[in-house]
Formats: sequence, structure tokens, C-alpha cells
Amino acid sequence: MNALTDLRPAARQAPRPPGLGASTRLAIRLAWRQLRSEKARLASAIAGVMFACMLVFMQLGFRSALFESATTLIGAMRADLFLMSPMTLASFRPEPIPRVRVSQALAVEGVAAAAPVYLAQSSFRNPDTGTRRTIQLIGFDVEAGVLDLPGLASVREALKQPDSFAFDARSRPEFGPVTAMLAARGPFPVQIGNRDLRVVGTVELGSSFGADGNAVVSEVNFRRIVSARRAALVDLAAIRLRPGADLLVAQAALRAFLPPDVAVLTQAELRAHERRYWEEATPIGFIFSFGSLMGLIVGMVIVYQILFSDIAGHLKEYATLKAMGYSNGHLSRVVLGAAGILALLGFLPGMVIASILYGVVADATFLPLNMTAERAMWVLLMIFAMCAVAGLLATRKLRDADPADMF
Amino acid sequence: MLGDPVELDGVTFAYGDGALRREVLRDVSLRVAPGEIVILTGPSGSGKTTLLTLVGALRAMQAGSCRVLGQELSGASEAVRVGLRRQIGFIFQSHNLLGFLTARQNVAMALELDGAMHEPERLARAGEMLRAVGLAEEVEKLPGQLSGGQRQRVAVARALAGSPGLILADEPTAALDRVSGGEVVRLLRDLARSRGTAILLVTHDPRILDLADRIVTMEDGRVVAGASPGDALPGPAGNAAGAPG
Repeated sequence: MNALTDLRPAARQAPRPPGLGASTRLAIRLAWRQLRSEKARLASAIAGVMFACMLVFMQLGFRSALFESATTLIGAMRADLFLMSPMTLASFRPEPIPRVRVSQALAVEGVAAAAPVYLAQSSFRNPDTGTRRTIQLIGFDVEAGVLDLPGLASVREALKQPDSFAFDARSRPEFGPVTAMLAARGPFPVQIGNRDLRVVGTVELGSSFGADGNAVVSEVNFRRIVSARRAALVDLAAIRLRPGADLLVAQAALRAFLPPDVAVLTQAELRAHERRYWEEATPIGFIFSFGSLMGLIVGMVIVYQILFSDIAGHLKEYATLKAMGYSNGHLSRVVLGAAGILALLGFLPGMVIASILYGVVADATFLPLNMTAERAMWVLLMIFAMCAVAGLLATRKLRDADPADMF
Repeated sequence: MLGDPVELDGVTFAYGDGALRREVLRDVSLRVAPGEIVILTGPSGSGKTTLLTLVGALRAMQAGSCRVLGQELSGASEAVRVGLRRQIGFIFQSHNLLGFLTARQNVAMALELDGAMHEPERLARAGEMLRAVGLAEEVEKLPGQLSGGQRQRVAVARALAGSPGLILADEPTAALDRVSGGEVVRLLRDLARSRGTAILLVTHDPRILDLADRIVTMEDGRVVAGASPGDALPGPAGNAAGAPG
């Protein structure tokens, strides 16, 4: 028997075309079969998407690390409320506030304690090589217990000694092997500014774009190092509330009570203020966003090239499919399906490599670089958008596949 | 039956505009009855290929009437034309198979346009079609692994898989040797006979002229002669070939 003889009766009605879901599935399957058939081209397309993906991850990682590290110092300071000059743009260049505001704050309902905080940058002589580097000094009343820092508890007593300081163990290595030397031979003298101090312990703060390293000193020792400072001026004030006091009520009361030469901020607001400076007042945020965009454009061009040449090289086949009754829309879905597959296949290795690079860069720069689910989702979205735009541009070439030219 | 699969009446078609306007079809009328094999022949530039693209709904009509499988194509939208193409089997001079799909997957592509059919059904039917064209052993091969004749037979299987009401073929044997060319055309004729499917075939190949029920010769955009090669073949009813020549 011949299969030709038992065909269905000739259809007079056009067959019902498959639904959108089914036809999209078929389009994606066709796209995958086509991509799979040319391994070298597939590999180069995936490499292109992967490269773009890595670039975007690194740029966004740096961007976020910058903003996070800019607020490392502020983030490490634990207190309920802070007083700061409204003129201060960022903590590394603080505008002073009158010291009397600290005492005045105590008059407000709910405030248990208030303590001044001094910030200054000074030079630190590397105890190993003797070179000098700028270090961030943080001076405050270590006994009052108003301001807390990670690791402060273990050195609080020792910081009361004259000319003593605690070194930030997470400072950049250019400051010398202070932590190791401390562990090996106990407290030893180090020059900060023009004064010899003794390092008596370590705290855990972390370097930032504004400061490579930090040193914590008592209020008295701060004045000895930065002798030019007027005692009546402080840079920040930390406020601790009574247990059970409402944060926002106390904040409002302080605002109402204190003159407008101080701003009253919660820890989160202080952090946001610091972050805003780096985001808006410097071109750094823009640079990294621009870098991400460049990565996406490079990736888009690569994907476009691959998809375009795929169509251009198979115009006759695409035209044949059109002659068979495949609509332009269906073939566009094939191209977009290929773009989507490339997005996914490039994203996965790109994310893995970026995670590894984050570790490498974090070790080298001491910046807080790490892969977050939120960032991964954003990059995945961006890579999909990049491939979709490339796919849409490439589908224009489908118009050249004219079935009327086939005969 | 509403009418013949192909009914052309006074079709005129020109390329270009103004001074560059070049008429390739002048007042062509032609009918193809169910089960009839009509061979269109004539020198190149005589307009037969343009005629085929109009009947195949691959090109928009300009003047005249063209009913294909009951659908008037004059003024038909792109969507209507795309829909109609699904009921027409196309066979091209070159096979145009997708190189990355096996023979069976290529044939199944013609069935993926039918939403009522599922994957196992499609593959089974594609396999049947390939057996019918004598390629039972080559079902899972890629086009690159097949000979020219085998590829063209896959293309025939693809054109027939969707049970089209009309087959349009353009020089289907041009790239084939005598034996495989004969096989391909015999397959087509068997289909037309058993299924009542009309076939409109453009060819210069003298070796296959004797398979036609009717040979229509075109020249300079007009049908100049419509003859049945031998009276042994049953003359289809109601065919009116020919504009004044």
C-alpha cells in the first residue's frame, strides 16, 4: 500500500493553526535546533553574551561596592540617632557642629546619653616600610558607651591609655602588617600625624573609597594628634535613647528643640545621606552605569551579528517556510527564541565567572563585592532585554526572505 | 464542489512603474481541474513563473480574478494569503530543506502549522510520507547525507504531507538526473490520480511532458496554446485555457 492513497480528503478549510503557546514552543524548539547545529557559531554567541554579562556584573558590583564601602564607616557606627551639620556632604570631609549641641540634646525627653564624635584624616606611618598613607581617625568618648563599633568591646579599656589607638584590621594592606605584628609582639609604637602612638588592639570596620584604613582613638588622644582642632567643635554626635523610647518621636523632639545648625538623623538616614553623596555628587556612579551600558551594547552587537548572519545565510529556507504558510510573526518568534536561548546560555556561565571574579577582586581591593540574588535578577533581565533588542533588530532581515523570489 | 482548484480570469501583472513598467502577464485565463496535471511551459521571461507565484498566493494580485481553492486572491490581505499557502504544496527547483533538521523533521515542519496535530502524530505521518516516496531508510538522515534525488523526494514528501488541495512545482526535476527526475514526477502523478489533487507544474524538461494531462504554453505574457498530449488521458471538465494569442 502506498501512503499517498490513504491521505485524508483534501482539506477545503485551512487547518486551524496552533495556539500562541504551542506555536511559541515550536518556534523555540526550531531556534534551538538551528543554534545547536552550528557549534562554533553557538559557542561564539554564548561567549559574547557571557562577556557582556560579566562586564555588567563587574560594573554593577564595583558600583554597589563603592556605595557600600562609602558607608562602611557610618554603617559600623552603632547609635540610635546622630547629629550632623546640614552642610556636611560626606563623612570624610565633615563640617563641624558646636559641641554644646551634644549637651543640649540631653535635655530632650527619651535621650539617655549623647557623646561627640570626631572625624579627621591624618597620615599613618607604615611600621614595616616607613611610608606614609592617609588614614581616617575616629575619636570619641570610648567609656561613655554611646557609640559602638564592631570589635570595640575588646579594646575599650586599652584605649583609655594615653597615646593609644585601635587599628582597623580590615584596612588596606599598604598600612603594613599591623595585625600580624600586634599578634607577634603585643602593643608597639606607630606614628600617626606627628605623634607616636601605641597600637593596642584592632577593630573591624573596612576600607572605603574615601578612606583606605581607619584608626580608633579616645577623645583625648584625638585632640593630641589633631592639635589644631578647637575643642568647641565636633563632627558628629551620637545619641543613645532610653530603653522603650520611640525613635521617631525622639528624633522629632530633637529637631524641634535644637537650632537648625544641626540635622538629626537615624543611622539609616545617615547612611543614605553618605550614599547619596557618592551617587549624585560624584561621577563615579554614572561611570559604572555607563560601563554597564557599554557591556550591554557590545553584547547586543555580537548577538545581532550572529542572529543576522543566521537569517542572511538561510534566506531561501526562511522563504520556503513562508511559502509553506509560516507567518512573518512565527519566524520572528523563532529569531527571538534564539535570542532568548543565547541570553540564558550566556548568563549562566557569565554569572559563575563573575562570582569567581568578585572573590578575586574583593581579595585584592578589600571592597565588599559579592553576588546578590537581586543583582543577578537585574542582570538576567538586562541580558534578556539586550538579546531581545538584538533579536528584534535581526528580524528586520526576515523581510528579505520573499517567497515570491523562490521560483 | 464550488469550482476548480485554480480559476484564473483576465489576470494581468506588471513589474515597475511609469516608464519602467513591464507587463509580464497579459489577460491570462486558466483553469486547473481537480486531479489534473497541467504543465506550464514556454521560453524564459514568458511570465510562467510570475503566474505560479500569483496562484501560490506569494505575490499580491494587480488586475483580474484568481480563485485558488475557492479563495479569491484579488485584494486578499497578507493574512489570507498566508492562510491559503498552508493548503498548497510547494516544490521548488532546489529542495530548500532545513539543513539542521532530519528528513523526518523537515517533513514534520509542514504539519506544525496544524494545531490539531500532536508531535507523535506529526512524526508518524512524516515517516509515512517518507516511506511513500521510497525513503524509509533515510528518515533520520540530515539533508547533507542525502543525494540530490533523495533530497528532492523529501521536498515532495514535505509538500504532500499536509494533504494540500493543490501542488505548485517549479522545475522540480531540473537538478536531477533522468531516473530520479522520473521518480519524483511519477510520485506527483500518483498523488494527483489517487487524491484528486491538482498539480500546476512549470518545466522545460521534455522528459516529463508526457506526464501532463494538458500542456499550456506561454509566450510574452500570454497563453498561446493549451493542448492535451494524446487523447488517452481523460480531459478534465470545464478547462478553458487561453487568452487570444
